[in-house]
Amino acid sequence: MLFRKMYRDIWSNKGSYLACLVLVVLGLTTYTSFSISSDNLELSKEIFYREQNFADGFAELTAMPYRDAEGLAQIEGIDQVSGRVTREVRVLYPESDIGIYLKFVSLELDNPDRVNDARLLEGNELRQGEFEVWVDNQFYDVHGLELGYVLEILAGEKAREITVEGYAMSPEFTYPLRTEAEIYPNPEQFGIAFTSRETMWNFFPDLQGRVNNLAFTLEEGTDFDEVKDRLEPELEAYGLINLYSRDNQTSHLILSEEIAQLQRMAFAVPLMFLVIAALILYIMLKRLVEQQRGQIGILKAFGYSNREIMLHYLTYSITVGFIGGLLGGTAGIYLSRPLNWLLLEFFHVPEIDVDFSLYYFVLGVLISLGIFLAAGYQGCKYALKLKPAEAMRPPAPVSGRKTVLEKIRLFSSMLTIQGKMAVRNLARNRSRTAFLFIGVTLSCAVVVVTWSLNDLVDKLVFYRFEEVEVYHARVNFTEPVSRQPVERELAEHAEVTGVEPLAEVPVRLSHAWREESVVLLGILKDSSMYIIRDAAGRRIEPSEQGIILSERLAEKLSVEEGTSLKLASPYLRDNEDEQTVEVYRVIPQYLGMNAYMEITGVEAILQQGKFATSFMVNVGDERINPGNAEDYWDTNDFREKDLVRANIAGLRDYYRESDLVAGVDGTEEQIRETRELMETFGMVIYLYVLIGVVIAFSIIYSSSFIILSERNRELASMKVLGMTSREVFSVITFEQWFISFFAVLAGLPLAQAMMEGFSRELSTDLYTIPAELSAQALLMGALITAISIWIAQRFALRKVERLDLVEVLKTRE
Amino acid sequence: MGSELIEACNIKKRYQMGEVTVHALRGVDFTLYDGELVVILGHSGSGKSTLVNIVGGMDQASEGELYFRDRPLHNASENELTAYRRSEVGFIFQFYNLMPNLTAYENVHLAVQIATDPLDVDPLLEQVGLIDRKEHFPSQLSGGEQQRVAIARALAKNPRLLLCDEPTGSLDLPAGKQILKLLRDFCSHYNKAVVIITHNTNISYMADRVIHLKDGLVEGVKENSEPLSPEKVSW
Ligand SMILES: Nc1ncnc2c1ncn2[C@@H]1O[C@H](COP(=O)(O)OP(=O)(O)OP(=O)(O)O)[C@@H](O)[C@H]1O
Ligand SMILES: [Mg+2]
Repeated sequence: MLFRKMYRDIWSNKGSYLACLVLVVLGLTTYTSFSISSDNLELSKEIFYREQNFADGFAELTAMPYRDAEGLAQIEGIDQVSGRVTREVRVLYPESDIGIYLKFVSLELDNPDRVNDARLLEGNELRQGEFEVWVDNQFYDVHGLELGYVLEILAGEKAREITVEGYAMSPEFTYPLRTEAEIYPNPEQFGIAFTSRETMWNFFPDLQGRVNNLAFTLEEGTDFDEVKDRLEPELEAYGLINLYSRDNQTSHLILSEEIAQLQRMAFAVPLMFLVIAALILYIMLKRLVEQQRGQIGILKAFGYSNREIMLHYLTYSITVGFIGGLLGGTAGIYLSRPLNWLLLEFFHVPEIDVDFSLYYFVLGVLISLGIFLAAGYQGCKYALKLKPAEAMRPPAPVSGRKTVLEKIRLFSSMLTIQGKMAVRNLARNRSRTAFLFIGVTLSCAVVVVTWSLNDLVDKLVFYRFEEVEVYHARVNFTEPVSRQPVERELAEHAEVTGVEPLAEVPVRLSHAWREESVVLLGILKDSSMYIIRDAAGRRIEPSEQGIILSERLAEKLSVEEGTSLKLASPYLRDNEDEQTVEVYRVIPQYLGMNAYMEITGVEAILQQGKFATSFMVNVGDERINPGNAEDYWDTNDFREKDLVRANIAGLRDYYRESDLVAGVDGTEEQIRETRELMETFGMVIYLYVLIGVVIAFSIIYSSSFIILSERNRELASMKVLGMTSREVFSVITFEQWFISFFAVLAGLPLAQAMMEGFSRELSTDLYTIPAELSAQALLMGALITAISIWIAQRFALRKVERLDLVEVLKTRE
Repeated sequence: MGSELIEACNIKKRYQMGEVTVHALRGVDFTLYDGELVVILGHSGSGKSTLVNIVGGMDQASEGELYFRDRPLHNASENELTAYRRSEVGFIFQFYNLMPNLTAYENVHLAVQIATDPLDVDPLLEQVGLIDRKEHFPSQLSGGEQQRVAIARALAKNPRLLLCDEPTGSLDLPAGKQILKLLRDFCSHYNKAVVIITHNTNISYMADRVIHLKDGLVEGVKENSEPLSPEKVSW
């Protein structure tokens, strides 16, 4: 019988229970799917690392004899060392109009216990000295390669042919980025190729018998920093460029960060949903028990025990928790599959076959039951305290009271009678008001932060092309070239309308014990193609004496403007020497971490003649400049676009056989590629906005229902007076808008705080996320929240319209 | 006798309760004139509330015709009924039904806000003897006082028709008399129609006309040539 009563109670409030259920289902769906996926990815990563013997440390050098590299294994703390030859080469695809590069990495084919090995997914073993490669699987797929395909590459001054013998994955390149200025791997243009050391020496005679990269593992229980101190002096003589641990290895860093982020999401998002659902249920049960105090009294008078009554009311929350748990868990398991698949698309990690679903399914149901039991108990413990006789008496009448706010004359005189009712109701039900407030604040903040992040990712990616690097293409050289003759030659091409040099120099900057390896960019003082900007977007001219640092770099080195730094570089004339340079300015940089100087300043410090490593060129009819770059790239002027494309292709063709030119990168191609990649991420944004909407909706919806059932007498009386449903409902909506207004206002600082949290959490050496909320995001947050409130109210309004006056007023309160 | 205000012909009301059909009204004819005070008398369950709710536009009949000054209400839409309640009808219930978080003054003002030709709040509160309690909330007033606020609220809209369902049902004799006197005064001074539902025969002596309901039918109508003044009513 009691079960039937519960069924009817739930049915008559189905809207609110449904809102609750939806939140539970969403919460558990995210919980199960994200937990399963992050565990899966984590375990895949661990197994992959172990099986391929992923290195603990890496070093980039100018060159070091292979024998010496092998000897480094003697150093205390180092277990195994692999001396490698790495070089980026250009792929000569006859039909391709974009620059395609492969980073060649040599493998220790002769060592049975290879360090930092690649895993062959399909194909044949490589042979020492043969012109054979494995390419990474994404590159293989994207370019539709086949085993036995002969790639033509430009390596070591010559066009070479090399046979694809297989495709492979390596823990070192789970997220292969060509430069630090990129956020997404782009297999269209960049891939990894593995080959034997002998083959590399054959390709690059300048490195014959030598290596330019080390990967090493540490002995069990050894600290990297100790080893670094011992290793560094050994490497200095060979032109050490960068010595870093696995923790600073790009792919590892990004993959680990992604897993950590998934784990945080698997915790935070469900928690938010479940807490709100539990709060709604708590308030509804509390309300139900108060409303049914008469019934409880009668049940008690019959002789029902407290336990039985308690159990009856707890059944409500157990039902919601259990059904929600089952549905959410099941949905989560199903969703984890596409999520896994998506993650494996982004990270080159071999899939493992472990199933965590049952564990998280059961855990999810238990968590949901636990939270709802607690909420349910809190909600109905009041029923226990009631003595039967007391329960059958009506509750003490609601006493009206003027609020403090109304003491303010102006405020009070502004309010209509409905307004006064609303304000007093808010003051009366403090906890419910708080709930409404927190819910709307949260949902607004979620939307604002999401929107801002979206704007920021956009900024992160496109700021570079629109504000900083404004040119049509960049011609990259395989080694530093003499500046003026090359510039002159480039300028002589008919299609080239502008040329500027760029010097990219690997440097090690140190201040006290802090040290960072970065690329120092040498730029013309009055460059119109590479614009350095301060936080306000104002142009800063690079100095010949001082060095400009990115904020993150300055922070890591713990320096500020005016501090003196030590600079070391393999490009220094005497590369064991160190130079002192003063910090001239510190600027924000979203992608990557660089240092900048005027180009002749760079040359002076390195004690080198005039050189450059690449040239920025313009090849269009129209001038592209910092003022119009955004419009320029967005324009639909196809004639201009075609012209630029044709001219870039012309340059590429011209230098196809050149051993000095590594490639020509077109800016438009990069923008296009990036945009395509970013579209996948747009979906995530909608997901978050949906979360915000669902929260706002369910809170407003259930709060309307609670108010309706609690005050139906009052509302019916107003209808009898002749007020329309809308007028009656305005009392409720006034309450909600009044609170929502302040809640949205409070949502903005909350969003700012969340954003700062995100910025701290997500910023790495690879990219900086500024804690900025865009005006558009603020507006969207307020708007989307308001719309979900409005829609939820429309649903509740229907209930007011259907309010049965005769029925409500017949009975005594 | 005033002009005709309400004309009800053969009003029937059925409630379908699953298999069972409850016939609350089985064909009631009923006329009401301006300026008269009518008491509807009948046993519990005889259909009094049902009839008055239909007359007041709170509910609609299953069958029959109902006119308010020649305006048909039996086929009126929800909006038309709302407009009718808003401008023409005042309701008083046994359980006052005041807004708990509005003061006496504000409760009355709530009605003034929506009326087309309202009366002033203060004189009304004066009339019901509660002017010095106007800042008090319902929980600070006695039952009789709350009912007087409810009357003031019903009168404030200046309705042509005042419908009272057991207005003295939960009050003692002196408080009840006070209420009845207010109703009588309103009827006489403003020439408005007042309908009082009761199962208390004594109250019917103050009416101009008494309608007896039994099992959903009018059993008889009695005209009082000399209605008793409310002070003299007792039970
Ligand atoms: N919503 C309803 N559903 C079913 N039957 C109803 C409903 N409302 C009233 N009735 C029935 O209609 C009949 C008349 O009810 P009504 O409330 O008009 O009586 P009444 O004369 O006002 O009685 P009382 O003096 O007890 O208030 C009753 O038999 C009642 O059971
Ligand atoms: Mg009745």
